[in-house]
Amino acid sequence: MKKYLCAFVLILSFTCFSYAQFGYDFSYKDMKIKPGIGLEYFTRTISWDDQTHSSTLRSYFLTLNTKIEFQWGFSITPVLGYSLSNFDGLVFRKLPISLELDVGDIKGLIFGGEVKQNFITIEEIQFGARGEFLYSYGLKEDWTIPGLIVEGTVEGRPSWKRILVGPILKYRGFDYFSPYVFVGYDQLWGTFSMKETIQDLEGSEDKKIKGKGFVSASVGAVYELTDKFHIQAESRLTPYEQGADFGILLKLNYTF
Amino acid sequence: MKKRKSVFIFLIAVFCLSTTSFQQVHRDQKQRKINDSRNIHMRQAKIPCLNDGLPYRADPKGSSYVSDQVLVKFKSTLSSKMVKATIASYGLEQIKRIPQLNIFQLQVPENLSVKEMISYLEQNPDVQYAEPNYKAHLAVTPNDTLFKYQYALQNSGQEIGVPGAPQGKSNADIKATQGWKETKGVKEVIIAVVDSGVDMEHPDLKDNIYSSGKDFANDDLDATDDNGHGTFVSSLAAAVTNNSEGIAGVAWNCKVLPLKVTDEKGEAFYSWVIEAIRYAVDNEAQVINVSLGGNMPSHALEDALSYADRNDVLVVAAAGNDSGPVLYPAAYDKYCVAVAATDYKDSRAEWSNYGPEIDVAAPGVRVIGCVPTWYWGEETLPYGWGFGTSASTPHVAGMAALIKSIKPWLTPSEIMKIIRYSSDDINQIDYPGKDEYLGYGRVNLEKALVPILISSSEE
Repeated sequence: MKKYLCAFVLILSFTCFSYAQFGYDFSYKDMKIKPGIGLEYFTRTISWDDQTHSSTLRSYFLTLNTKIEFQWGFSITPVLGYSLSNFDGLVFRKLPISLELDVGDIKGLIFGGEVKQNFITIEEIQFGARGEFLYSYGLKEDWTIPGLIVEGTVEGRPSWKRILVGPILKYRGFDYFSPYVFVGYDQLWGTFSMKETIQDLEGSEDKKIKGKGFVSASVGAVYELTDKFHIQAESRLTPYEQGADFGILLKLNYTF
Repeated sequence: MKKRKSVFIFLIAVFCLSTTSFQQVHRDQKQRKINDSRNIHMRQAKIPCLNDGLPYRADPKGSSYVSDQVLVKFKSTLSSKMVKATIASYGLEQIKRIPQLNIFQLQVPENLSVKEMISYLEQNPDVQYAEPNYKAHLAVTPNDTLFKYQYALQNSGQEIGVPGAPQGKSNADIKATQGWKETKGVKEVIIAVVDSGVDMEHPDLKDNIYSSGKDFANDDLDATDDNGHGTFVSSLAAAVTNNSEGIAGVAWNCKVLPLKVTDEKGEAFYSWVIEAIRYAVDNEAQVINVSLGGNMPSHALEDALSYADRNDVLVVAAAGNDSGPVLYPAAYDKYCVAVAATDYKDSRAEWSNYGPEIDVAAPGVRVIGCVPTWYWGEETLPYGWGFGTSASTPHVAGMAALIKSIKPWLTPSEIMKIIRYSSDDINQIDYPGKDEYLGYGRVNLEKALVPILISSSEE
């Protein structure tokens, strides 16, 4: 957890450093505010129980974001939204009666943000760094345990976090759209808490999950629909030993 | 504007293609094959029934306790010197003191009956309790041969024996094969079998014997079976399985600690049972199988069960085969899983004891198991058919051992509840829910061990 936060802080620090280095005098004219909405979907193979088992996390979320872009090439985008995460296949063997999830999507809230800093532009190629942090806080849900002679219920709440940090290369040679490539250190981790109650028999389990793979490669483009509207599309691939996971992202922003 | 549009469409198309082509779903492949157990060879030899095909029953005739012994517990405030003096003052002689439980097995003087002595002792304020040394008896019988005949573990409606033998009913079993997908047990889990001992040389058992155990009837460290009952019971709980011969045990890899509490006549006394329980607890057993019982309650016996419970050891005991009240220790509801018997059609065995203490049921009619190699003689396979709650009990003890194997942190009380709540209510038409005949129902290893799928549609 610490190292991910460190990486995030590092990006921020570097941004501040570059800002200080070039000595811009801040003015609101230097700043653009771009509110927008985003839609993202990803699958991620997750391992658990000391990486002895695995299943797939599928999550999609709708976010509201506000990109604050500064002249010196720095942008920060706070994100807030609603997520649906599917942990089906996750098995809880530390509960008194073991359970396997097959409950479909679990609702949640999502918070986080993205920071981006452009460092250098050589002809049409722009080189920078991008960092992203997302936290999905699942809402508590109850399910009935089937097949028992007495009534049994289980209460579950998932949460996961994802951090993505790395260099980004953007081509700005076209008039209306800018394709880019982003390769990043990509980590996903979280906890699924379950509490089982079967009459007077109770137990709980906090299952730690961890995304397989630690590097992802993304290709995407920002397309200017009009002077005010632009749309960003991105697809991401996260390889791991036995396969690869993918994700897609679509954002629409308006510039004030 | 046209140029913008076409570039935009192109981008979206590339984007969709690139994402869909990468979709991969990784599923954990952990399916375990369990069919090996069916490869056991079956010699077509006639397998006789133990005890003439009848379940062992408490003998209504004769004394239910040792005629010249009492079990006494003194209050803890009494010093050991004072205890000795008190014993002497009544003319009693100490036979044995069961450590930890601090129960004294005392010889009554010839001029007094047990009842008279107890009435004198009960008037003494320093005596916590005094009671006869009751006789326990074996609640079931051994028998057996092959997995395909083990309807208790997997019932497909097969004939249970040679052609013409009774036919089972599909799924009237404890779902062992499904449960084994999750675990076959670990060698660290020891099932103490408080019974008539075990044939340590039986080919289907010897590799699963934890130690030579203890013989409380003869007071030595050799619990070799001289009756047959203990070998039968032990094999149902933890026979060596997947070894191409004989039968399958419920807990393949768990070990058996044999504790002999019967003499050459097959009689067992409470004092021996109590000592055996104490010994099992102190010698790392996690589950104790007691396929025997007596009609009389006993504080001393209850004390022993409490001792097991306090030390995280689960006791599973037979209800009895007299179509009467549940025997002791099974009737000690708080500390003991009391097991009733069902048959190959998932019906209650008519002779199975009943009462509110019954927790669960397991097959106990025409159950195949090991008998000592000397039992039938050289011409016959050392297996036989057994009947009674003695046969039902080791199925549940084996189940408890499997649960303990994968969830060693659970307490006896929690394991007991898992066993109860995961049962199938097979007599729900007549007696929905828990009843005094089959308790919560016939045990189900699959539900107790294998993760249950929970889906949103179950809300």
